[in-house]
Amino acid sequence: MNYPAELKYSKSHEWVKMEGDVAVIGITDFAQDALGDVVFVNLPSVGDSVTAGAAFGDVESVKAVSDLVSPVSGEIVEVNEALADAPEVFNSDPYGSWIIKVSGITDTEELLDAAAYEAFCAEEA
Amino acid sequence: MGELKRTQLYDVHVNSGATMVDFGGWEMPVQYPTGIVAEHLYTRHACSLFDVSHMGRLLIEGPDRVAFLQHVLTSNVDALDLNMAQYCIIPDEDGSAVDDAYLYCFNEDNLLLVVNASNTDKDLVHLNKYLKDYNCTITNITADYASIAVQGPKSKDMLTQLAGGVALTEPVKNALNTLTMEGREVLIAKTGYTGEPLGYEVFIKSCDAQWMWNRLIELGAKPAGLGARDTLRLEAGMPLYGHEMGVDPDGNNMPIFAVPLARFAVSFAPQKGNYVGREHLAVQYEAFKRINNRDFSDLAALPRRIMPITLLDKGVMRGGMTIYKGDKQVGWTTSGTMVPYYVAEGEGLQSVILDETAKRSIGLCYIDSDTLKDDIVEVDVRGKRLKAVIPQMHMSVMAPPFARPLLYRPTEEQKAVVVDDNTPKAITLLTKALENHRWRQQRCVNLIPSENTPSRAVQMLCASDPAFRYAEHKKVKAFYDSDIFYYQGTKFIDEVEQKLVEQMRRYLGCREVETRVISGQMSNAATFSALVDWKNRLDRKHDAKRLGYVLNNHIIKGGHLSAQPMGALKDYIAVDPVTERHAVVNFPVCADNIYKIDVEETKKVIEKYRPELIIFGKSMVLHKEPVAAIRKFVDEQNIPTTIMYDMAHVLGLIGDSFQKPFEEGAEIVTGSTHKTFFGSQRGVIGVNYKKDELKYGLWETIESRAFPGSVSNHHLGSQLGLLMAAYEMNQFKAEYQKAIVDSAKHFAKCLKAEGLNVAGDPVIDYTETHQVIVSVGYGVGPEVAERLEQNNIIVNYQATPDEEGFTASGALRMGVSEMVRFGFTFDDFAKLASLMADCILRNKDISEDVAKLRSEHLEMQYCFKGEEFDAALEGLVAELGV
Repeated sequence: MNYPAELKYSKSHEWVKMEGDVAVIGITDFAQDALGDVVFVNLPSVGDSVTAGAAFGDVESVKAVSDLVSPVSGEIVEVNEALADAPEVFNSDPYGSWIIKVSGITDTEELLDAAAYEAFCAEEA
Repeated sequence: MGELKRTQLYDVHVNSGATMVDFGGWEMPVQYPTGIVAEHLYTRHACSLFDVSHMGRLLIEGPDRVAFLQHVLTSNVDALDLNMAQYCIIPDEDGSAVDDAYLYCFNEDNLLLVVNASNTDKDLVHLNKYLKDYNCTITNITADYASIAVQGPKSKDMLTQLAGGVALTEPVKNALNTLTMEGREVLIAKTGYTGEPLGYEVFIKSCDAQWMWNRLIELGAKPAGLGARDTLRLEAGMPLYGHEMGVDPDGNNMPIFAVPLARFAVSFAPQKGNYVGREHLAVQYEAFKRINNRDFSDLAALPRRIMPITLLDKGVMRGGMTIYKGDKQVGWTTSGTMVPYYVAEGEGLQSVILDETAKRSIGLCYIDSDTLKDDIVEVDVRGKRLKAVIPQMHMSVMAPPFARPLLYRPTEEQKAVVVDDNTPKAITLLTKALENHRWRQQRCVNLIPSENTPSRAVQMLCASDPAFRYAEHKKVKAFYDSDIFYYQGTKFIDEVEQKLVEQMRRYLGCREVETRVISGQMSNAATFSALVDWKNRLDRKHDAKRLGYVLNNHIIKGGHLSAQPMGALKDYIAVDPVTERHAVVNFPVCADNIYKIDVEETKKVIEKYRPELIIFGKSMVLHKEPVAAIRKFVDEQNIPTTIMYDMAHVLGLIGDSFQKPFEEGAEIVTGSTHKTFFGSQRGVIGVNYKKDELKYGLWETIESRAFPGSVSNHHLGSQLGLLMAAYEMNQFKAEYQKAIVDSAKHFAKCLKAEGLNVAGDPVIDYTETHQVIVSVGYGVGPEVAERLEQNNIIVNYQATPDEEGFTASGALRMGVSEMVRFGFTFDDFAKLASLMADCILRNKDISEDVAKLRSEHLEMQYCFKGEEFDAALEGLVAELGV
């Protein structure tokens, strides 16, 4: 399992990368492994507002569906539409598969660093 | 997960990196590292292994085992033959399902019932409630045996390798066998839960489980987990207990007839008596019939049914989602996910399965019984209403070796016919007909064994005046059985028919002949109809009793379609009330030669079933049929029966080089007149009853079932042509028939020498008829036949007796008759064999060589020649304007 040191992590298994004041958000390696083959993603739209701790979409594997939970509150400024046609990249490249970019951040969940997240995952498994 | 049960293969799964989960109290692999999608696809194009050792294996032993199972299962256990399995449901008193199961008959001492793992304990409690009234026992042998499902198009090949090349089972669904594989005993079943047309489940002793699993992995199989097992069975539309059976989301028991398979799994055979749940099932069945007749007036017994559902909007369905039509809830999804499939290109048999894959969102649903195919509904997918449709089915298993996904296509409206000037179309038709005629007659080597080109004289007569006429006639007792014609202008054709009957009597070697039937299939249908009519002649106040038992050649073993229940026998064959199947038994074939009837085994079958009709004859025929031996046997045993020989393919071979059916003891011969015989395309029926015999009445019935039973207009032109063909045959048969059989043997030997895999017995040079069978590889028959056609050789692809059906055909069926008639010599057949090997084995373009070989043989042999004959023929030709 891969936990890049430069990222922050939520307990609902999203990763966050700050690019200036924009949060780039995706799902973690642990999340994709637990889901198995991802076959569908429900994406939000640019302009939607997101709330820290609330769902902004969902991702479906053959086995199960899982909510995508935003670690921040703010407004979506970009959506990775390519994921809709190729959701399998969540499995092959979870940290290259960003889902949304959020700016105007007003609130942020408590996020873990790589080491703490790895320990958290070890507990969950 | 410490308290969970583990199968014999647990270590293998863990070592393979499987994700293990709790499944019904068992610690089972849900997927391996490649994931569910890859496992699903590998099953569909190659072969996957599924550990199904967790399923409950219950052995039922004791003298009352059948009676007990008849009482506690829905199926007809009396209909379960040795080495066969059947799907069944364990019913509850209220007509709902306790579980669904498979019942296996591997031997004559016990029956094996395989139930769902999570239901095993519950099933045992339920079954034991009824056991006390029966002298039999149930033993849970789950731990003694492991079970592996080997599923996918390559499964047959892999298991055959392990079995040392012997045939695994009969090539039909649910067939069983007990084999030794590398010194270990293996119980093998042609069953599965993936929808794969080729798939097996094996039962092996626990100690052999790892050996079997590892050997199959070495041979190229890959492991697949419960995740793929679920997506595969969902795509195949198969029910899963707890989803499509059991309790619905409202907490109500689902009726058994809600599941489409119930129609096959539930029996009301009288010998089942008042079994568990029967009364409720009978009420459900009545509702089922009403609903299928689109009478939705009373849905109480069957308010909802299981149907496939396809999502039209983007998204994924899961089990338990609500389905709406407008504001009304009409049901729930019971299973659903996104399922991968291989994309196919092209149409029909030539369609190609590509490497490209795609996914589709499908499910099964429990939906109001008045829902119809193509109905549009909405599914509440986590708060969003998504559009979905009810398709016919998600997948077809009818084209082995591959399961074919059926993507939803809306039913197309037929386009209105555009009225325009048809002159250009008429001209095109003429041009294309000329092109086709030239190709088939000058450039093509035709090896279809059911075809022949008739002589020029036969062809011209077929086109001459009576071709457009009627000549209905019937023997009338009031005129001492004179034939009475209903129309004028029929004196010529009357004379022709009388002469034709006379020629055919001579040829067949029998007393009476009917020539008005216009095909071999009609010959059989008229004969079967007459047999039923004759059987019921003394009782016209009740529905006519049908024929049963009938002994024939199984279609897979080369039996003629026209003598099968799916062919001309359909409306005339009884259903055995005990087995609830057509009252047909098949000739057993020799263990070392599946193309030949086993006479000694046949005698046992005749003694057991005492068939009222025995039908010899095949469409894939390499051997003489043992008519004399069976006639002798039934006479000695005093078994009342009728022996018929359907000589469709070999009608032109009657004589010293092949068989003389009536001398050997056949009573009725039917056939078509255009395969090995020289004629136009018609049929013929001959019988050998004497006028003073009781069965002469059967002959008179055959005549009346020909006319007015089968034909009114019987294509008089072709009857005229057939008279010429009969003259030719009676004149030239000795040389022609010898040339046919000798050429077929020679052709077979040449093909063999060229490295092709010729079927049959080398001791007799592979064939005693006009036919030669060549194996080209499992499932590739259609492709090779198409390649040969592109190279001007016309053959037909053919499933051999150990293959599943026409799409799995691995052989070519060929006949030499037409080319012999065009004067092919031994040398020509040797050349042809060499060219065919180039094309089949080396993919060489031989089209021009074949055309050249054919063009050297354009003159027909075995027909009348000479100045006087030619002058008479050309006179007719000139008048016809040809």
